[in-house]
Amino acid sequence: MNLAVVVQRYGADINGGAELHARYIAERLARHASVEVITTCARDYVTWRNERPVGVEPVNGIPVRRFPVAHERDPDDFGRRSHRVFEQTHSIADELRWLESEGPASSELVNYVAASADRFDFILLFSYRYYHAWHLARRVAAKAVLVPTAERDPAVAVSIFGPVFRGVRGLMYNSPEERAMIQGAARNASVPGVVVGIGSDVPERTDPARFRRKFRMERPFAIYIGRIDENKGCGELFSHFRRYAATFPRGLDLVLIGSAIMDVPKHPRIHHLGFLDDDDKFDALAASDLLVMPSYYESLSMVALEAWALGRPVLANGACDVLKGQCIRSNAGLYYERYEEFAQALYALESNGPLNARLGRNGREYFARHYAWPVIERKYLDMFAALKRGAPAAMEPLPGWMARRRRDVPPANEVLASIPSGAAILPPEGGSHEIERAGGALAARADAWLPPSGGRAKPA
Amino acid sequence: MSDFSVRSDNVDVEQIMRQIRTRIREKRGVDYTEEEIRELANVKLEKFLDPRGVRSDLLQQYRQVRESAETARNYRFEDTTLYESSRAPVRWLRRLLRPILKLFFNPNPLIEALHIQSRLNESYNRSEALSYELIHNLVLELTRASIEVKNLKMRLESIASRLDFDERRARALEGVVQYRPGAVPPLQPPTGSPSQTDTDGNERRTRRRRRRGRRHGGGAGGAHGEAGPATGGGAGTGSGQGARDAAPQAPASERPPSAPDRSDS
Repeated sequence: MNLAVVVQRYGADINGGAELHARYIAERLARHASVEVITTCARDYVTWRNERPVGVEPVNGIPVRRFPVAHERDPDDFGRRSHRVFEQTHSIADELRWLESEGPASSELVNYVAASADRFDFILLFSYRYYHAWHLARRVAAKAVLVPTAERDPAVAVSIFGPVFRGVRGLMYNSPEERAMIQGAARNASVPGVVVGIGSDVPERTDPARFRRKFRMERPFAIYIGRIDENKGCGELFSHFRRYAATFPRGLDLVLIGSAIMDVPKHPRIHHLGFLDDDDKFDALAASDLLVMPSYYESLSMVALEAWALGRPVLANGACDVLKGQCIRSNAGLYYERYEEFAQALYALESNGPLNARLGRNGREYFARHYAWPVIERKYLDMFAALKRGAPAAMEPLPGWMARRRRDVPPANEVLASIPSGAAILPPEGGSHEIERAGGALAARADAWLPPSGGRAKPA
Repeated sequence: MSDFSVRSDNVDVEQIMRQIRTRIREKRGVDYTEEEIRELANVKLEKFLDPRGVRSDLLQQYRQVRESAETARNYRFEDTTLYESSRAPVRWLRRLLRPILKLFFNPNPLIEALHIQSRLNESYNRSEALSYELIHNLVLELTRASIEVKNLKMRLESIASRLDFDERRARALEGVVQYRPGAVPPLQPPTGSPSQTDTDGNERRTRRRRRRGRRHGGGAGGAHGEAGPATGGGAGTGSGQGARDAAPQAPASERPPSAPDRSDS
């Protein structure tokens, strides 16, 4: 089987969510098929500046073919067009100009893939919102398998993506919430799709003591791994944690791993360690009591999956449907939507060892059942086999010249607001997710998990 | 810290979260739900607030002022606005002649400036909405605070009346008690009669100092004792010590067998 993986950026040093996702999938599928990666010469996702050489180079044994980006992104122009498409009634022509402005516009890449489509059985397109995915989904719809990596942002409600979601050969979703959102936006329930997600190369053994020695961490701690950014909910996390630290002076510390885009508050119990390599990262995760995920928007949290793989519970932002859904389905994490819930849930995870261990064990099982690499690979291969048996759907044509310029498309934000939200609790496909409900056999007494109602409590 | 035990292999995250929320509700001890507070905030504020301090129709006034503003709230200005027309041929003609127009002057800075102005207007409108929200929340919080103050006032009144009742009861009971010779004399309040203080006060203080000196023996204790009133030790160590030194308790044998002091009754 011959597969093409098309993604906006690619490289061993690129750690963006969708790009890393694409690399992991390409490397794993290379064990079962001949894989060629097709991408741009860009390295920076803000400007799409051509920084890598045109041509073919191997990356971890996979041939990677790069094409130049025609023009860099102009942030002002993109901002203006985004405002028009997201906030105002607009036309389809406006949306197409917005897509061109967003980039990375590489007609050479699109033409190459379209011309050599016959060589491939399937073409995996990563990230629905970019130029390459939209154009190729239309040009090679019969072979296009889309990995949307969609978050709940207005782009998903831009009308030009509807026909793409309805017309591709198959969809590989990251989570049931992402699938529900896309199906709500595009009414594409008839298109073959499966919730797959992604695995992670979690080491067999970790050495928490080594991490504690190296970074002189003696106290128990909660950990956050990722970009330290206001958009990732870190501001709210710091605010909540400082209040929590004042209430529980002997409670957990907070360790942050990742590059900081915002100021990290100076606090004796907040430790920013910067960007760490994988060994240190996994040792830190193993040494922690729990992982905190304050992000509002995630299509799939890889770091949460890694925490579960190592048997650590997660405290997630309940405002993020995907994280909340994952916590509920896995029974391996708690969530919060305001400070009181944050404090109570963090205290429960901190002070109740058996609960912490039980959630961690559930997480480990959940990861092994749904996100271990053999499971992910099998889902992809089964999907390809099923698609080979079925017939492709027809792609809806673009409206005519006049119709494209008619300003009657509602603002994407309005459309997004009308799409149902919330965690997908039910099993997505015939019980493939078994939600372990305790039913009557509740694990522990209600009060036992909670801090005392008055005064300061001493953590265990 | 509360004790707990995990009783089974399964946990239900949703149930834990429900319990957490129940606990938060219990801790907050909410008398009014958010909806009820909002409802109360919409009621005439005179019921709760001093009408001279806050106008109860503040929100309505503010809303009216905003709605009656005659100037347009904003306009849209995009790069195509200058060339727009309701008639398609005119639009087409303008587009055709646009390059010629650009030979005479550069409309781009104009477009850019008006676009920025439009964005500024929008930002102003947004901040105005925030002000409205702020005032709204202010009124809400003020209502909440006034309700609480009212409740606290009522509690204070209730406690004051109970205290008053208890005092009266205590005095009535004291009036019932009779002194019987041979029984243990009741404790005397620390104050004696003015004449006693004047005539015996100095002598008692001297005796007390002497006793203290003997008790402490020599050394540091003696030095401390000798410092006494001259160094202002009593005042310096706080009113408690000073007051105790200034008003010593007379031995039981020296007290007159009088009834309890009822000077306050």
